[in-house]
Amino acid sequence: MSKLRERNESAWLLPPTPGIDYRLRNEMRRFAPEEEVDIAIVGCGAGGSTLLQRLARAGWRALALDAGPFWDPERDWVSDEAGSHQLYWTEPREISGDDPVPLGSNNSGRGVGGSMVHYAGYTPRFHPSDFRTYSTDGVGADWPLQYQDLRSYYEDIEGELPVAGQYWPWGDPHGYPHRPHPVSGNGELFLRGALACGITAKVGPVAITNGRFGNRPHCIYRGFCLQGCKVNAKASPLITHIPDALAHGAEVRSDSMVTHIEVDQHSGRASGVHYVREGRQYFQRARMVAVAGYSIETPRLLLNSTSQRFPDGLCNDFDQVGRYLMVQGAPQTAGRFDSEVRMWKAPPPEVSTEQFYETDPGKPYKRGFSVQTVSPLPITWAEHVVAQGYWGAKLRAYMSDYVHWACLGALCEFLPLEGNRVTLAQEKDRNGMPIAHFHYSQCDNDKQLLGAAQEVMEKILTSAGADEVITIKRYAHLVGGARMAADERHGVVDADCRSFAVPNLYITDGSVLPTQGSANPALTIMALAARSADRLIDGARSGTAEPA
Amino acid sequence: MSRLPLPERDGGGRFPGFDSASQSKHWDAATQSVVMARLGLPVDVRFFTPAEEATARALLDQLLDQRGEPRVPVVHLVDARLAEQQTDGWHYDDMPIDGQAWRDTLAALDEDARARYGCIFAEADLEDQEAMLRSIQERGMEPWHGIPAEHVWSLWTRYACTAFYSHPWAWDEIGFAGPAYPRGYKNLGIDALEPFEVRDARPGADPLRAEKEKGRA
Repeated sequence: MSKLRERNESAWLLPPTPGIDYRLRNEMRRFAPEEEVDIAIVGCGAGGSTLLQRLARAGWRALALDAGPFWDPERDWVSDEAGSHQLYWTEPREISGDDPVPLGSNNSGRGVGGSMVHYAGYTPRFHPSDFRTYSTDGVGADWPLQYQDLRSYYEDIEGELPVAGQYWPWGDPHGYPHRPHPVSGNGELFLRGALACGITAKVGPVAITNGRFGNRPHCIYRGFCLQGCKVNAKASPLITHIPDALAHGAEVRSDSMVTHIEVDQHSGRASGVHYVREGRQYFQRARMVAVAGYSIETPRLLLNSTSQRFPDGLCNDFDQVGRYLMVQGAPQTAGRFDSEVRMWKAPPPEVSTEQFYETDPGKPYKRGFSVQTVSPLPITWAEHVVAQGYWGAKLRAYMSDYVHWACLGALCEFLPLEGNRVTLAQEKDRNGMPIAHFHYSQCDNDKQLLGAAQEVMEKILTSAGADEVITIKRYAHLVGGARMAADERHGVVDADCRSFAVPNLYITDGSVLPTQGSANPALTIMALAARSADRLIDGARSGTAEPA
Repeated sequence: MSRLPLPERDGGGRFPGFDSASQSKHWDAATQSVVMARLGLPVDVRFFTPAEEATARALLDQLLDQRGEPRVPVVHLVDARLAEQQTDGWHYDDMPIDGQAWRDTLAALDEDARARYGCIFAEADLEDQEAMLRSIQERGMEPWHGIPAEHVWSLWTRYACTAFYSHPWAWDEIGFAGPAYPRGYKNLGIDALEPFEVRDARPGADPLRAEKEKGRA
């Protein structure tokens, strides 16, 4: 058996045909709410699922709750844009600020697998510089850990997803376990344009199988990555970590919305979670709690978890919860070719460049951006056209030209700002809990990056032969909101993702990131969760940290 | 070729004989049932009041340039979403939740139409409706009936485009073959078509170029 399979057998636990193996779910261990589990994890996405799998393998009695369903890809997912709304977190949320950020389909998942069910599949690593932007560039924040602390976890997760791509020359140079995928018309034009204007571009890195992996089949290039991969080729924790977790005695309790984390007033320790399932309220006892609800729901849950000890919300003694929430500026530039590009064929994630990732001393702005292929489907493409001001007859005319357009997207490293945050709104959800209010405004550096990225994308596309280019300003990804820091005055958790305020409360999702680089965050979130799991397991063994 | 009437000058007839739904036997059952349902009789309007329905029909016809039959039943698709509270998962904090925002803005359209033309929006001349909408769009972040016009425009166009471009007839008009599972694609690359795809009959019909040339003339 390979070392990888000894570490995580998920790919071999899936059936050799499309769909899932119901036996694992039917025979899943089930804890009673009054039974004290070793850990209750809130949220079953990138961070929560990885933590669950690692701890279950180490023999912990581990339970993960998720507000959404336990998906059956064959039954629940469709090759259709409008029909995929159930993949997104569509409970109400309010947005505001100078640059309000739309949520839902663009960046918020629900159900087992989390946002990785509908992410594109890009899984780049962060660069070593991302962990010390304040020391190096005077912007952002320094992490309480370094790239080297995460490196082996990056390698592990890249093997488990697995990631396909060319040798990666940027950041800490490294190779990938799977060879790069063939590219479609969109990727071909990116490569052609980049070559013509002297920009290095590479194929990958994407968490999509290239060749069989365990029982997971090869990608069939159907292009609906953002609607959930029915093929089981694109990685999400639903197929990469949950099967192995179940096989090792973990429970996944789906359709369970956690509304409050209970803290014992005497000991100051978390004692379990309150949740609503099928209209009924329950309390699950737990020796330890990990929150992994992502950058909006994690702060919201902490802020809603008030008590005598924490009147302003759990872990919020220093008004840090919900702050420094980041999105990446993700302008998309499309170019028009007389040839037919049909960019929707093949997975949207194909080719990228990180040549502009680092601070360029010759530029007036700090930090940088990456450029990647994106391939909007018709509804999203219509959004591009409407953003140019077209509607009515002109909208229809532009849309009829769809086959001729290629599209690139940038990820600009927007800086963490104190005022970009989640608070609680007056409005309540159907459980009677105040919903999240997300306020967001850009700073000057952010705006300069947007302009620079647009210029580079226009250059690539015109060098490839485009006669017209159009750009739409968008955002991508969410990170921060409960960041890690050196001390409790600057963040919510320490380098191990343990909260400063409650010794047996962890946060293991994207909200702990202090900076975001120009990389898609999924791989880093998983690597951080795997590292936290290791620390917990080590601690349990030596008896120095939390007893398991 | 799309069943939807669209003049050639507006991009009609570019994919002769193309019929995305004719491929439905190659789609998986879950996708088939979701997509093919859009071709059946639409669910009755239940969220909009009759007055709101009339205004919404006129507004959506304008936004999507649907001038004759057959139409994509956009008003039914929007109404169904609102009835089921199937939102995008967010709303601007200067607007109520989507359902109420639709009711409020449709009423505001009628109020403006009455003030300007002495009739409800749906009974105004098409040119007058268009002029009203253009004036709202051009306000940008200026408030319209107390809400930044841009936020209202975003609400209307998001719902309109999601409904219209979810329909196989709209896909036929733009050459998009729709679902691709379990078949996938075998011919990737520039100008590489699958046997069931149809090439654009007028590849030079770039709307931007047409506009530029008109500008030069």
